[in-house]
Amino acid sequence: MAASAQQGVCIQVRLFASLREATGWSEQLVTPATTARTPLALWQQLGLGPDEPPAGVRVAINQRFASWDAPLTDGDELAFLPPISGG
Amino acid sequence: MADGPLPLDGPLLAIAVEPAPFDPLQSLAAWHTKLAAALGDLPAAESHFIGRVRPTAAGGEALSALELEHYPGMTEAQLHTLASAAAARHGATAVLVRHRVGRVLPGESIVLVAVAASRRGPALRCCQELLEALKHEAPFWKREWLAAGSSSWVQGNTPL
Repeated sequence: MAASAQQGVCIQVRLFASLREATGWSEQLVTPATTARTPLALWQQLGLGPDEPPAGVRVAINQRFASWDAPLTDGDELAFLPPISGG
Repeated sequence: MADGPLPLDGPLLAIAVEPAPFDPLQSLAAWHTKLAAALGDLPAAESHFIGRVRPTAAGGEALSALELEHYPGMTEAQLHTLASAAAARHGATAVLVRHRVGRVLPGESIVLVAVAASRRGPALRCCQELLEALKHEAPFWKREWLAAGSSSWVQGNTPL
């Protein structure tokens, strides 16, 4: 059963700037709904935007840039970062 | 050993995310004092970039303020990573980065990058490369607040 495979797996999801305002929340603990434990799967599960994330939106796992298909493990901090505009 | 320059095994990095206004010239003076204490003499070449908030928004309207959001922890770590990599690539001796967060008013300094090196080439190239890197690779987000009270998130960076 798919659900049992996810038992106990919790990912701390964080949103910033325009993504945070569009959704109305900044962070929450999320249990992956499927065995696909990747940033892309959680992006789609949470309905954060189009299934194919917009160009310029990036991902960080435990405060380091990561790819959309990087594996997530229990306790990871996952952040979705809208296009950066510093300096 | 109480006196004399400290032994160095890499570039001297001074990185700060600033929630309050800072004076870039005072920052440079304080940095020089620390560099002189660590190195004995200041390096022969030094380059600086000071970025200030424009009085107008991207659309040309009068700007009342910029709001700078960041990712506490990751932003500082990423600035360190970028500064360390740029300094190593160009053989720079020391790098200073100060970057504002929070509400920043037109005319206020938003970023200061300074690089000290043995020659002008590495100092200038490292400074420009690091500035471009932090604009694209350090998690900061700008929101423009207009005089009328509306606001919008800035998408991307201004042209070089």
